[in-house]
Amino acid sequence: MTRGRKIAAGIAAWIIAITGLHFAWNVNWSVILNDRLPLDKRKLNVAYIPVT
Amino acid sequence: VTDYISAYSASGNLFIPRMFQGFPEIKEALMSNKMQAAFMVAPMAIALRAQGVPVKIVYLGHRYGSAVVVRTDGPIRSPAGLRGKTIAIPSRFSNERLVVIKVLKDFKIDPSEVKLVEMAPPDVAGALNAGAIDAFSMGEPFPSQAEMGGFGRVLFHAKEYWPDYTSCVLVVRQDAIDERGDAIQVLVDGIARSGLWLEEGQSNREHAADFVGRFYFNQDPKLLRWALTKPLDRVKYTPLTPYKKDFDFIVDMMVETDVLDERIEFLEYVDPQFAEGAKRETAWKYEPGSQRAE
Repeated sequence: MTRGRKIAAGIAAWIIAITGLHFAWNVNWSVILNDRLPLDKRKLNVAYIPVT
Repeated sequence: VTDYISAYSASGNLFIPRMFQGFPEIKEALMSNKMQAAFMVAPMAIALRAQGVPVKIVYLGHRYGSAVVVRTDGPIRSPAGLRGKTIAIPSRFSNERLVVIKVLKDFKIDPSEVKLVEMAPPDVAGALNAGAIDAFSMGEPFPSQAEMGGFGRVLFHAKEYWPDYTSCVLVVRQDAIDERGDAIQVLVDGIARSGLWLEEGQSNREHAADFVGRFYFNQDPKLLRWALTKPLDRVKYTPLTPYKKDFDFIVDMMVETDVLDERIEFLEYVDPQFAEGAKRETAWKYEPGSQRAE
């Protein structure tokens, strides 16, 4: 493997790892999946603010 | 509290609580159906309905719990001292604004003599500490935050000048009421039961401060303990039924202060069926730390 290909592979692996961690840590999958359900089967989203 | 405890109950989780940092964002999310229900300041809910947005108030979030706070080392010692000052409020459509105007009028001060600025609730204590504002009118736990930090002093609690004061209400989209009325009733019943549970005493409030601070508000539980227990009636969780007389007063104040064009009838913006259905509910049977709630 040439040096250029090694660098490209390293960058690709870094991007994939960062993207995977972002999806794992920062995306609330239960909310996304719930929003795709029909209203009668969906959990209701209730908004609140950290104030009484 | 309802979400946390009901997770251990037979009905389990029927809701996904979603935290926002400001009321305008909640309003947009509700209008676009991203949120089916929301806690928001009562005048904003009334204004939305008056503008034709298909939502209804179904329950209250609490009673009391708002205060006007000034700097501890500042010159303001009574409401009369607010003349000429800058006061932060959460929204022009809020009871925190209305109570300031009411108190100013009680003290014969023209509201135009103070500068009211809208500010996201989490920002007000820092703004007071930095001297960017002279006072703020806000719901808990931000008055407690200023008190705990030593730089703020409660000038007055809203309930001192406005008996049965309310602030946040539970608002639900009309389509959710029509299609998911059973789930809305479970939510309202849960809030009623949580309110009764919180009113059972200091230990329940302290426990609620711990799990709400850690899992919901992302705030120091000590701050919430202060807000919920100093004194115990600083925020009340019964009765949470929306009463017509309370809302008539809010609507009159809104019209008087030019945030509502004309009066709107109570049943146009309140759906009382869920509060009525929750009247026979009893407090959660839940021991702090238990994995079971009934």
